[in-house]
Amino acid sequence: MNPHATSWVRTQESGPKKSMVVLPDAASRIIKKAKKPTLVIGSKINDIDGLLDRVIALQKAGVEIVATGHSVKFLLEKGSDAYVIGVVEATNMLTDPNWKGIDGKGQPDLLMVMGVHLDLTNQTFSTLKNFTDLESMCIDRYYMPNATYSFPNITDDIHLEYLDDIIGKLQA
Amino acid sequence: MSVDKNKINIKKLKSPFLGMSDVEIEFGSVEEDWDEPMGPTPKPSMTDLREWDMKLLERYRPFYTPVCDMCCLCSFGKCDLTHGKKGACGIDVKTQQARMIALEVCIGTAAHGAHARHMLEHQIERKGRDFPIDMGLNIATEAPITRTVVGIKPKTLGDFEEALEYAEEQLQHVMGSLHTGNEGSYLDFESKAMHAGMLDNLVKEVGDLAQIVGYDFNRGDPEAPLVDIGMGTIDKTKPVILTIGHNVAGGAEIVSYTEEHGKADDIEICGICCTSHDLTRRTPRGKIIGPLSMQTRFIRSGAADVIVLDEQCVRTDLLEEAAKVKAPLLATNDKACHGLKDRTKDPVNDIINDLVSGKEKAVLVFDPVKVGEIAVRVAEAVAPTRQKFKVIPSKEELVAEAKRCVECEECQRACPVNLHISEAMALAAKGKLEKLSELRDLCVGCVRCESACPKGIPVLSLLEKAAEKKLKEEKSKIRTGRGPILDTEIRNVGPPIVFGEIPGVLALAGCSNYPNGAKEVAEIAEEFIKRNYIVTSSGCAAMGMAQYKDENGETLFEKYPGDFDSGCLTNVGSCLSNAHILGAAIKIPAIFARRNLRGNFEEIADYILNRVGAVGLVWGTYSQKALAISTGLNRWGIPVILGPSGSKYRRLYMGRKDQEKDWEIFNARTGDRVTVDPTPGHLTYVAESKEECIVAIARLVMRPNDTVKGRMIKLAHYIDLHKKYMGKGPDDLHLYIRTEADIPMNVKDETKKMLKKMKWKEKIIPDPTLVERLVWKKEAKE
Ligand code: SF4
Ligand code: SF4
Ligand code: SF4
Repeated sequence: MNPHATSWVRTQESGPKKSMVVLPDAASRIIKKAKKPTLVIGSKINDIDGLLDRVIALQKAGVEIVATGHSVKFLLEKGSDAYVIGVVEATNMLTDPNWKGIDGKGQPDLLMVMGVHLDLTNQTFSTLKNFTDLESMCIDRYYMPNATYSFPNITDDIHLEYLDDIIGKLQA
Repeated sequence: MSVDKNKINIKKLKSPFLGMSDVEIEFGSVEEDWDEPMGPTPKPSMTDLREWDMKLLERYRPFYTPVCDMCCLCSFGKCDLTHGKKGACGIDVKTQQARMIALEVCIGTAAHGAHARHMLEHQIERKGRDFPIDMGLNIATEAPITRTVVGIKPKTLGDFEEALEYAEEQLQHVMGSLHTGNEGSYLDFESKAMHAGMLDNLVKEVGDLAQIVGYDFNRGDPEAPLVDIGMGTIDKTKPVILTIGHNVAGGAEIVSYTEEHGKADDIEICGICCTSHDLTRRTPRGKIIGPLSMQTRFIRSGAADVIVLDEQCVRTDLLEEAAKVKAPLLATNDKACHGLKDRTKDPVNDIINDLVSGKEKAVLVFDPVKVGEIAVRVAEAVAPTRQKFKVIPSKEELVAEAKRCVECEECQRACPVNLHISEAMALAAKGKLEKLSELRDLCVGCVRCESACPKGIPVLSLLEKAAEKKLKEEKSKIRTGRGPILDTEIRNVGPPIVFGEIPGVLALAGCSNYPNGAKEVAEIAEEFIKRNYIVTSSGCAAMGMAQYKDENGETLFEKYPGDFDSGCLTNVGSCLSNAHILGAAIKIPAIFARRNLRGNFEEIADYILNRVGAVGLVWGTYSQKALAISTGLNRWGIPVILGPSGSKYRRLYMGRKDQEKDWEIFNARTGDRVTVDPTPGHLTYVAESKEECIVAIARLVMRPNDTVKGRMIKLAHYIDLHKKYMGKGPDDLHLYIRTEADIPMNVKDETKKMLKKMKWKEKIIPDPTLVERLVWKKEAKE
């Protein structure tokens, strides 16, 4: 078995349906294809230097940012801003097909997650997998089995490279 | 406003709907003999409160995060239930999650219930069935949960049997519904989970009151003594007995034996987890090592000469760990026999000889009195030869072990808090131990890393060695569990809580597997104590807080008084004792608003939901008991916030503040259906970080009944905390402003402008109720 396709947290696989591993090429195509790609960031977004800058770059490239936990504080410190909501609150809304979206202009058609507590990330994907038709993608440095797509398990440095690659492709 | 013992005098109260001045309200005093009329639901069956549950579940819809998409509960399985698939029995993934939740709550309730049953029988054996439930002069409402749920006013220990029999019978019904092919609705499973959760609250109250009167524990004294907590508090020159678990029967007899034989000062008796709370309620000489995360690490330190296990949250591999440090072990509870031979009927001397000679490493003895004698005599006998034998490596051994690490990261992948162990190992291999020592502060002691390590490196022991210096200084103070809240305290704080002028009550409970160490629990608590909220604690959460000292070397328990009052911090005691926090919420309608408790669950829960700004916090989640506690509190209308690992309980109850129709209630004054502000916003919520948690607490303490003054105070804290921890003010403020008078002074102008832009409309501040029959009928007709 491809070692990169095993969940980082060894026991996180919850059933037969697992995320497809994606690399920056495929990930950027998926984002480009989406009408309303949205990235949920969490309180761990500031744990690694440089991650927040990539979030802001993604925002500039047209990705909607939703700040969960207390991550908005880090964005504000960098002169940026985002919608604020708890990650479980946002996920709960997404299970309602009639929800108008956080901006009132419709729901995302691709939900990405990065910098959220590991358990919460995979549990968020679990809800989306089981109760919505929404496509989801883990662009954190860990393979999360419950999303539709996920990065493999990579190091922090490679993670930043992957994100730069995607940002470059989105800007192109 | 002035408050005295039995009445308050309101000089002036102004709200858009009610104005009064110079009004004197007298509170009910609880009669000597109970002439309270019986309410509609004494001993409610599994479906008697279903209508109430459905009202809650309509507003706070279950939100599921499956941990497993499959079911393997019967031999048809495994069945794949992913995304709409059904099992062979027809069940879908949502219903299966609810079924698992109900099962877990039953497990938690059964654990507390069996504990309470054992404790009650033990106390009846010691004191007799007619032994009075005398809670002292300041507590007349002795058992608020029992009164409300069972409809009885227990006067003697024997009276509690009726409460436990009721709970045991009901639990069987809930368990029965879990069988394949029974319940088919997730909402009904949730109602059943709430039923089991309510039973959990009940049995905890019974268990704790039985031990309070039986052992003559503190009866609600806010000035309960401060006692020692921490690994560094143990006097290793003495024989040391370590008790682990929750059921203090054995521990209490150990104390009695030392007292009766003049050995009280010669033997060190300490405990881990809730049994240690209760040990210190028995004697302030008892010492608390810490919460359940301390089990393996303290045993490996070799300090304990004898280890006494009872029940609940005790690791199942402690026989192995005790053997490593040559410490004899006594298992004492029928829930945890560990494969040992029952020696209860054997002569004490034979058992002692077998343990001291090493013929037996561990024995099973159910009789607490025998446990008391055996533990003390064995500790005295083995202490000189054991010489506190430990399995914590020397620094050289640590470095040698770290050098064997191949940095495969399997430990990190097994670690529930994702600690970067291999990086710390690489540094340790070079003799740099600081990183390992730092990780120790965040480690929750689960030992999964060691099982995962392909090289067999004893990771936990290495962390302990690296942090050795700190551990010697791990000495602090905790207030011993005081038990119930006094009726007199409720008389003082009831009105300002209900009017919202005390901004909220925060109840800290739960387990010790925190996302970022126990320090955060202390930080959350202090933020609210300083803001004059009432903060209460119990169990591992209280211990976690007590492990942290400020720059002056003081813990929160030393800094703040132990009253149930604003700006204070209460420790009620063990997990069983946290029933008294709910008990305090129930006593508010009883004492302040003269609502009848007897068999009157729905009215009391409705009152709490709409008027009592209490929030539970379970920042460390792991046990089924914590889920039972939380689900029970939810049925009473108390919201609970869980730490991030709580998402793996797989269900939350969440409101939708964007759905106005969900917040319709009856105005009890008129009978009209009116829409109120979305408060409290959720019944169970997961916060990702300490910062989010603090803001969520400030939001979840709001209640539709808050007076404008109360709401103004609550909003001022909400805005301030949001700015402090999120970097900007909240964007949902308009939802919680019912009238312009609610707006805090310092943000009045900007907020008014914002409201105008949003086309905000004033909302009614009704006399809120979800229960139509509670509408004041006479006025409604007029
Ligand atoms: S209980 Fe139902 S879903 Fe579970 S294994 Fe049996 S048939 Fe399958
Ligand atoms: S014992 Fe500590 S370091 Fe090891 S897996 Fe558990 S929490 Fe992580
Ligand atoms: S599992 Fe063992 S060998 Fe692998 S990184 Fe952890 S300590 Fe080192």
